[in-house]
Amino acid sequence: MTEANVTAAQSGTGSVPENWQPHIVALVCNWCSYAGADMAGTTRLEYPANVRMVRFPCTGRMSPLMILRAFEQGADGVLVSGCHPGDCHYVQGNLVARRRFTIFRSLMDFIGIDLKRLHFAWVSAAEGHKWAKVVSEVTASVQEAGPLPSFDHPEGWDGIDLPEMAGSGPQELDEDQLNAIRDNLRKAASEVLTGGRAGSVIGYGPGSLANQTIPLFITEAADCEKLEWGQGCRNNLSTYVGSALDKHERVAVVAKTCDLGAISGLIREGQLRREQLVVIGVQCPGVRDGPGLATKCLSCSGDPHPICDLVVTVDGVRESCEDPSAAALDTPDARDEQIAYLETLPHDERWKYWQRQFGRCLRCYACRAACPLCYCSTCITDKHRPQWVPTSIDHPGNSTWNIIRAVHLAGRCSGCDECARVCPADIRLDLINRKLSLEVERQYGKIGLDPEKKSALVDFRMEDSEEFIL
Amino acid sequence: MTRVTDSSWKLTDAQLRAWLSGLLDGNSVVAPVEEDGVLLFRPIASAHQAVIKPSGKTRWSPKEFLFPRSEALYRYSFKGGTVQLEDPPVPEKHQVLFGVRSCDASGLVRLDEIFLSGTTDRLYSARRENTTVVSTACAAADQECFCTAVGYSPVGEEGSDVQLVPMDEGWLLRVLTDKGRDLVGDSAEGWKAATAKDGKRLPELEKKVSKQIERSPVNREWSKVLEEGFEHGAWDRLAQHCLGCSVCAYVCPSCSCFDMNHEANAWCGEQCRSWDACTFPLFTHHASGHNPRETKQERYRQRVLHKFAFREEDDEPFRCVGCGRCVALCPAGLDIVNTVAAAVEAIREEGADAAR
Repeated sequence: MTEANVTAAQSGTGSVPENWQPHIVALVCNWCSYAGADMAGTTRLEYPANVRMVRFPCTGRMSPLMILRAFEQGADGVLVSGCHPGDCHYVQGNLVARRRFTIFRSLMDFIGIDLKRLHFAWVSAAEGHKWAKVVSEVTASVQEAGPLPSFDHPEGWDGIDLPEMAGSGPQELDEDQLNAIRDNLRKAASEVLTGGRAGSVIGYGPGSLANQTIPLFITEAADCEKLEWGQGCRNNLSTYVGSALDKHERVAVVAKTCDLGAISGLIREGQLRREQLVVIGVQCPGVRDGPGLATKCLSCSGDPHPICDLVVTVDGVRESCEDPSAAALDTPDARDEQIAYLETLPHDERWKYWQRQFGRCLRCYACRAACPLCYCSTCITDKHRPQWVPTSIDHPGNSTWNIIRAVHLAGRCSGCDECARVCPADIRLDLINRKLSLEVERQYGKIGLDPEKKSALVDFRMEDSEEFIL
Repeated sequence: MTRVTDSSWKLTDAQLRAWLSGLLDGNSVVAPVEEDGVLLFRPIASAHQAVIKPSGKTRWSPKEFLFPRSEALYRYSFKGGTVQLEDPPVPEKHQVLFGVRSCDASGLVRLDEIFLSGTTDRLYSARRENTTVVSTACAAADQECFCTAVGYSPVGEEGSDVQLVPMDEGWLLRVLTDKGRDLVGDSAEGWKAATAKDGKRLPELEKKVSKQIERSPVNREWSKVLEEGFEHGAWDRLAQHCLGCSVCAYVCPSCSCFDMNHEANAWCGEQCRSWDACTFPLFTHHASGHNPRETKQERYRQRVLHKFAFREEDDEPFRCVGCGRCVALCPAGLDIVNTVAAAVEAIREEGADAAR
């Protein structure tokens, strides 16, 4: 349908045209690498002519979106180059960028972009020789990788069977226990309202289908009888806290343990203040997604976390509000095996896997709407001067959207899986998010539930790893 | 289209597959297939790919094969210092939509009303002319189904050229239009003609499935009530958990809104028509910055009223065909039928002018 892609048509057939030359886009910083390239020219150095440069003020200004844009427009390879650490004209732009590229690179690899196509280099204004060398190496590397695979539905491709996910899930609760929890929750919510601790309680009410609930906004204690609890309580209600705070000074929110990361994230990012919230943590039987338990529940105990203000269990309600500074959700994730399996596959298989999934995307933006941490007043995909993300509901814009959504949540995503739950096309956004979280953790450590800790991608250390940078 | 009678046969599963296989010769056949666990309409290359079941829906309707998610209206390129303009070609190959549920077939007729009345849409009408619909009646309701509550039927014929009715064993195949007769053609030789007893299966199924749908019907007079209570305060409450995505509109068989977008690079580009939804704030955002539907409540109300109100004639069908997909897939569990009933109740009890 959309055919504004220049070289994509060449690929996909498996055969590389004779005398094929790669198109490479270089995103360079104005102060170092651009001047370095200039130096290479004035020094009369020869190097391959495959690179087209785009000049930026700083590597810190380069959004992964710009790299995606280059691929989407037909580049076979991208080179990003800027000042050496310590030399940034803006002091720390390249240091923040280094973390961002580290994480982005691992995602591109995961979705099937051969890393022979994506390179990063530090080239100073004095390093004309290095620029020539880098461009020669990058060109040879992209040449070896061949034309970029097409952004397209892989026709006739059989697909991949990922390993089954296993886990015991939370403690099973029988009907009586669930009723006890529900009663305790209603009591707790009602006391919060009558005691004036919050002007509104956000909880779950009965939905119209089996195993379905709807978010409920309660302001009268009597209405607390409508509160539901069970395996249909799937929404992460922290999404609604912001709008409820428009009407009330303090809001109480019913939370499962998997919802807490988002609440911490909102506080960390200045969207909420802890004192505006009464968090009611409830013992959870796990939530249903289709016929079985949701993936996130497989490795969760279901116990309410002690950092909640009120903890509701079968036994009753107690005040808690433990210090979150040491709080972590240290559980293995059933998805890790699937991620590891995908990573054993060749790039072209991974590319097909994700292209087929992204191809189904309807661009309904339910993933964005349901995500508690997608709170921008104008999303990048709704910006059209310039239009960063193609809005045609098709390849390659679908890939760009799904990748950039995940990248914008890298280091921030709390793993509540709301995006994957609400996706009508069953795109495995949870795998992408989890992959990014694993990479962030591996490189920069865990952030836990402490809202005081900075998230990894707005932070840096001089000694951050950069083994991939030329 | 003329109605053809006495054209029904009883087919075994194998005969049905064989017919489907034959259709692949010369037609582009679109049928439900399973992809990564999701049932979707896709062009098929062989008959065994198709999932033809007595009940159960695809994740979203087949409307994208008449009204694509995105399609180019014109293309341009810069060549030799001039601009070359090009009309995208109208697809020439005949298309068969196979295994479309009755609700979805009705949904296509609702789309026809938009794209073929008044100014006919060139690309849509060319596709429509070139498409034959083979529908499948339902032998059971999914938990979200409510077609009978909004005036449609699980065995409805609207929008179908050929109808397949699930029998205890095999299928009843009914030709409903000339297009359907052309599609069946010579294949009927060797098929067993259906008896009057076989034909009784239709009312039987209608009764059985209607019983499974435990929804109180949406009354036709409610349209007026909804319109009168346009400004009623209930909408604020009813839509407060709407998240403002467009799952409901994009999986809907009858939602037809679109946006114009432009995709281009330095060498070429195209003007596209892409799906859009009234639930998005940008949908009504004016260039001036003004937005006549500023809140999500107003936007959600628009969607509900466009399905159940704003009808020119009283006997016009609702634009909601009752497939229930929006209920099953809404991230916030919004239920359009419950919303309508609750809005009508509030408007009647508190008066149409009850303030927000």
